Amino acid sequence: MSNVLRPYLAAVRSTLTAALTLENFSSQVVERHNKPEVEVGGSKEVLLNPLTISRNENERVLIEPSVNSIRLSIKIKQADEIERILCHKFTRFMMQRAESFIVLRRKPVKGYDISFLITNTQTETMLKHKIVDFIIQFMEDVDREISEMKLSLNARARTVAESYLIAFNP
Amino acid sequence: MSLLAPIICDNGTGYSKVGFAGNSDPSFVFPTAIATRGPASQKQGPSVPSKPGHLASKRGVEDLDFFIGDEALANAKTPGYGVSYPIRHGQIDNWDYMERYWEQTIFKYLRAEPEDHYFLLTEPPLNPPENREQTAEIFFESFNIQGLYIAVQAVLALAASWSSNKVTDRTLTGTVIDSGDGVTHVIPCAEGYVIGSAIKHIPIAGRDISQFVLNLMRERGEMANVPPEDQLKVAGKVKENYTYVCQDIVKEFRKYDAEPYKYFERFDGEYSVTGRKYSVDVGYERFLAPEIFFNPEIYSSDFLTPLPEIVDGVIQASPIDVRRGLYKNIVLSGGSTMFQHFGQRLKRDLKQLVDSRLEASAVSSGSTQKSSGVEVEVISHKRQRYAVWFGGSLLASLPEFYSSCHTKAQYDEIGPSIGRRYQIFGSAT
Amino acid sequence: MILLEPHNYIIQTTLAEKFIKPSSLDVQFVDFDGVRFHLSTPDRKTALLLSMNIRCWDELVQYGALDVLKREYGPLLQAQPESEYNVSLLVDLETAPPEGEERDNFVKSLALLKRNALAAPFERAFSTQKELESSGAGQGDLLQIHYRDEEAIYVQAAHDRVTVIFSTVFGEETDRIFGKVFLQEFVDARRLPTIQNAPQVLYTNREPPLEIRHIQGLRDSEDIGYVTFVLFPRHFNNPTVAAGTISHIELFRDYLHYHIKCSKAYMHSRMRYRVSEFQKVLNRAKTEVASTERKTVTGRTLTTR
Repeated sequence: MSNVLRPYLAAVRSTLTAALTLENFSSQVVERHNKPEVEVGGSKEVLLNPLTISRNENERVLIEPSVNSIRLSIKIKQADEIERILCHKFTRFMMQRAESFIVLRRKPVKGYDISFLITNTQTETMLKHKIVDFIIQFMEDVDREISEMKLSLNARARTVAESYLIAFNP
Repeated sequence: MSLLAPIICDNGTGYSKVGFAGNSDPSFVFPTAIATRGPASQKQGPSVPSKPGHLASKRGVEDLDFFIGDEALANAKTPGYGVSYPIRHGQIDNWDYMERYWEQTIFKYLRAEPEDHYFLLTEPPLNPPENREQTAEIFFESFNIQGLYIAVQAVLALAASWSSNKVTDRTLTGTVIDSGDGVTHVIPCAEGYVIGSAIKHIPIAGRDISQFVLNLMRERGEMANVPPEDQLKVAGKVKENYTYVCQDIVKEFRKYDAEPYKYFERFDGEYSVTGRKYSVDVGYERFLAPEIFFNPEIYSSDFLTPLPEIVDGVIQASPIDVRRGLYKNIVLSGGSTMFQHFGQRLKRDLKQLVDSRLEASAVSSGSTQKSSGVEVEVISHKRQRYAVWFGGSLLASLPEFYSSCHTKAQYDEIGPSIGRRYQIFGSAT
Repeated sequence: MILLEPHNYIIQTTLAEKFIKPSSLDVQFVDFDGVRFHLSTPDRKTALLLSMNIRCWDELVQYGALDVLKREYGPLLQAQPESEYNVSLLVDLETAPPEGEERDNFVKSLALLKRNALAAPFERAFSTQKELESSGAGQGDLLQIHYRDEEAIYVQAAHDRVTVIFSTVFGEETDRIFGKVFLQEFVDARRLPTIQNAPQVLYTNREPPLEIRHIQGLRDSEDIGYVTFVLFPRHFNNPTVAAGTISHIELFRDYLHYHIKCSKAYMHSRMRYRVSEFQKVLNRAKTEVASTERKTVTGRTLTTR
């Protein structure tokens, strides 16, 4: 992990750990229902203050806590057109497989690239600190993966162009 | 540009059949095999991106260094290459390899610009919808194809039977007996939908028949002058060229014993290494080989149910309102159903089963009313070998094909989940 | 496979097969850029009729495609092509060359039908350049080949070079961005010492190059780009080199698109790997549930669905 990124990730980690204090909470609107309140947004009193951790204007994390669920949205760094398309492709590919990533949301919150939804059931059945580890690991790797993909695309393009042009040599 | 014919890709476990709609035969039939650099690891992560270190991404095009089909098998011995089969039991097992397999099929063999074409792909019955989504993802995102239709193989085999002159109405209700190299399936379909709960598999197919022919010939001592590595090939040739289904084994044996010269055939071969000529006599295996479908006990000791009984069981396990349709339209597909008189024999045996059951029920109910009987019909046709592919070619040449496809625009709008469902079309009913 | 081959694989394999075992036949297939082929035996099993339909046929005829095909195929070329097709060749299996290398070459030359038809404008431009070279100045006519619905090739000879311009349209956002990366590398690649001899490549987005700026009705939108190849006499002085250059440059668009698709496939396999890695990380968070296999009296396993 690069040192420049460390404070940012540390901030996300501690905020997320603090926010992951969830409890079972039945819906106040519909009888015998139990819904992630942050998604429903029906009863204002169980929602807590949302919080943004921002490294710069292109990289930020939005954490929206509530009594029984928490939503975390990430905006991934995109320096140029290529990174933008690669990031879009990657997050889409991952969200397509959201079924197996229990905490992943199928659609990102508006203005962000990818969102996670963690509910109290998940904190009860899974290890809390490991979920946090996963999110941090994801944030760390996704930047690296995208820049690596960009590099390999460039390397590939160069090889392709060279092999085409070299064939002109008599 | 929609003038260009749709591309039909039937990727089976053993062989892939690919070609253009409107033709009567696939342009290419080659093994579904891919030879890649590095060991043929099946379960590990993809060989290319597993080391996304700096050096690996430096060159960047190692993933283009591979062969598919016959070339893959030819390169199996080349050092550095490993052959793998991306499809297992009809379902795609390794998506990385499959994507590259398609890539080369399209660009090297078919020489088609995928952006200009519609595609029809096939899938086995009971394929999970997630697989369809992933297929749609590959075809729309990697290849930007114009439109995609994924059809169930059994339904295509039913459509292929419309070319037979015995078929009068174009229905998609029927029982498909699909027998390839590895396994035989009996699949009931009602109006284009597979009745998944009633499907049965039979562990006897082409490979077993060849093995059985080989056993018979070895026992008679015919294989003595055939080099060992050629024996299975000779057995395969004998199976393809000389065998037929008889109506009664005992009579057939008598016929052969009375006039051996009339019925025994001679097969001439040449040793592929030294070029030495040899010849073998082909005798009883001519009618015994396909007999293992009807009397499996002569070959295997653990699978003993004859094919007609299985078919009957499958139809009886289907909903009662479609059973008549299933009996009336039994369709053969795949190379191992190509034996002469196979259809007639199956029809006769099945008819006997059905009639005896009707009689038994009439007796046990004690009613004086008689059943009008159940019509049993087995359809054989000329396109049986590549029936699935041909059915695809037939359906894709219909004008409704284009409206049943999901187009690129629809995919962009809805996403891969669009690939979960496809409209059934083409049947006249 | 990095480079695409110029010949059509289906023609090659089908013909080779039919030489060994003639049988009646009627197949239709395609090649890149919307070329359609029809291979049939209309009269007898040993007379194969190979017909081709190509979008820009009228333009090609204008630039002398018939002469090129006559030179390549001689008597095989039919005066009256099959209806719906532009050009037909009649191959008689009985009078064809004997088995061996000669036949392989013959089959191969037939498989190059599309390449030869498209070669006409390039050959004309090359010869125009020769004529102009002596005068030392001037420009040849601008040859236009609308080989796809939205894309075209422009060829123009000058006294010291031949300029080939491809207009490229990318239908999709991802393709457009990937395409840009690739094309930029084409422009930059020439700096390498090994490829100093390659033609010079220029790329402009939206803005048409000077040579074709006067043409009416050029599209003016963000998704169009122009790739210019500047061929120097060393690329076509000697006939074999010229033939190689033509085969190679004709396939430029297909080559580019092939590689864009390959890179997307490669990205997919990277993403599959990365996603499975993330999956592993997440699975570590799952607490181990002691799962003892429960069985019924008869020995069957109980499973939850």
